[in-house]
Amino acid sequence: MAVPDATLERDAALFAPIARTGRGFYLTVAVLGLAILWGAIAYWTQFNEGLGVTGLQQPVSWGFYVTNFVFFIGISHAGTLISAILRLSRAEWRRPITRMAEVITVMVLFIGAGQILVDLGRPDRLFNVIRYGRYQSPLLWDATSISAYLTASMFYLYLPLIPDIAILRDRLGKRRFLYSVLAMGWTGSAHQQKILNRAIAIMAVLVIPIAVSVHTVVSFVFSMTIQPAWHSSIFGPYFVAGAIFSGIAALIVAMAIVRRIYHLQAYLKPIHFRYLGHLLLVMTLLWFYLTFAEYLTGYYGNEPEEMKVFWSKFTGPFWPTFWAMLALNFVVPMAFLVNLRNHAVGKTVVASVAVVLGMWLERFNIVVPTLSNPRLPFPVTHYWPTWVEWGETAGSFGLFILLYVLFVKFFPIISIWEIQEGREAGLKDVEERLRTYLPDDTTPEPAHGRARVTT
Amino acid sequence: MSARPSEVDRRVRALQWAIAALAVVFIGGIVTWIAHLIRTAWRLGDVPSASIGISIVAIPVFLVLLGVIVSVFWGLLRDGGSR
Repeated sequence: MAVPDATLERDAALFAPIARTGRGFYLTVAVLGLAILWGAIAYWTQFNEGLGVTGLQQPVSWGFYVTNFVFFIGISHAGTLISAILRLSRAEWRRPITRMAEVITVMVLFIGAGQILVDLGRPDRLFNVIRYGRYQSPLLWDATSISAYLTASMFYLYLPLIPDIAILRDRLGKRRFLYSVLAMGWTGSAHQQKILNRAIAIMAVLVIPIAVSVHTVVSFVFSMTIQPAWHSSIFGPYFVAGAIFSGIAALIVAMAIVRRIYHLQAYLKPIHFRYLGHLLLVMTLLWFYLTFAEYLTGYYGNEPEEMKVFWSKFTGPFWPTFWAMLALNFVVPMAFLVNLRNHAVGKTVVASVAVVLGMWLERFNIVVPTLSNPRLPFPVTHYWPTWVEWGETAGSFGLFILLYVLFVKFFPIISIWEIQEGREAGLKDVEERLRTYLPDDTTPEPAHGRARVTT
Repeated sequence: MSARPSEVDRRVRALQWAIAALAVVFIGGIVTWIAHLIRTAWRLGDVPSASIGISIVAIPVFLVLLGVIVSVFWGLLRDGGSR
């Protein structure tokens, strides 16, 4: 993992965002800062005056905040899970995209977990969970699995970053103290490489079941209740599939933006978008299949409380969000992803933006219609968010993007050493692996000399 | 004979060990928290089997994470000298 000077010159584009700061950076930070300021003012208002300033009321006690929570935790599957699967399957095309994915995971996990804090009218009561938490509650299962995922994801991001931080320490000429600390004394010795490679491999294996458990447990928060349209045994896989679906879409959007702004077309090629586009297409079909199964089961059962929720989505007050969800999550991706031979980047980006929006709507359609039509005899209510929830949502998205932008400013968003490794060892490794798949060159001797094929 | 590490090197080294210690304290804190919840459930007779059941899965996961992190930081910092 010691990178020679010639390689560094060749990969100068990867250092450019860190070495130079243009006007665009400050402008972006300013715009995002405004969104965050709106979020901060919204939260301050809520903190002082209570949840009454939001559109939340009984029985709709979960609105935008819990929608955002489920959405952000879902997006987090972009990174660690996809990166770990590609790493373990030794997919060579992963090299320029894994870090981008891993950064998304860590950033959105912080934002997602923060939504729960915002949703608490009294955030100080979080300490009650720490002191008196009860493991009978799926909410605490969530807290535990998200803690595990966040910890694992942070280290899974950090470990492969160490050799690149060492390169910045030795070559960049600025922020040397910061990079020296974070490089953890990396010299690239054989012993260090062995330690790091082994740790990355273990983390890649560990992080997959943790990631799957996280969104399964998030779904349990809903499905362990007997609320109509929540009490479903397929909610676990449905949520995990939706999370991977939205995660891939978010990754494609991030790749396209980074590629365009930092001129990384040489690294993020149409082939990367095409491969991820194929994955997104598979997930589109899987999501549609699970959605169809979920709604058909409810409809066929014809249970009165379930049907109230069902019709509120199909023709009732939630029809705009329901049909928009179907169009954005199924129709648009199908239209754009079926043929990716030409304009792969543009098509996958359009489909991905649609999926990101559609999956937010999907989370909203799960959370709010059921609470608006509860099993208990509450009057039917309609939830509409106030400026406080819009502000908090804008602030959350702004904060996520700002953290991402700051990461790109301080660290290589494409792994330098992995690109180098791909050039040096990857080609040879793929060739050797390919040989092992093919039949052996040596022709077996015909049995007793009778089965010889003659031409 | 190697040169003595400079003041900056010593500060870098101290901060690196501090990061490693922070990671250990963070994960150790989560494991302690889970153990505290088992103890509370046990003390109150509040379905301790649920806490124990979940902890049987959760605590080993955190301990594996802890093991990986300790081995990486220990290995790198021991091997890396003052860089």
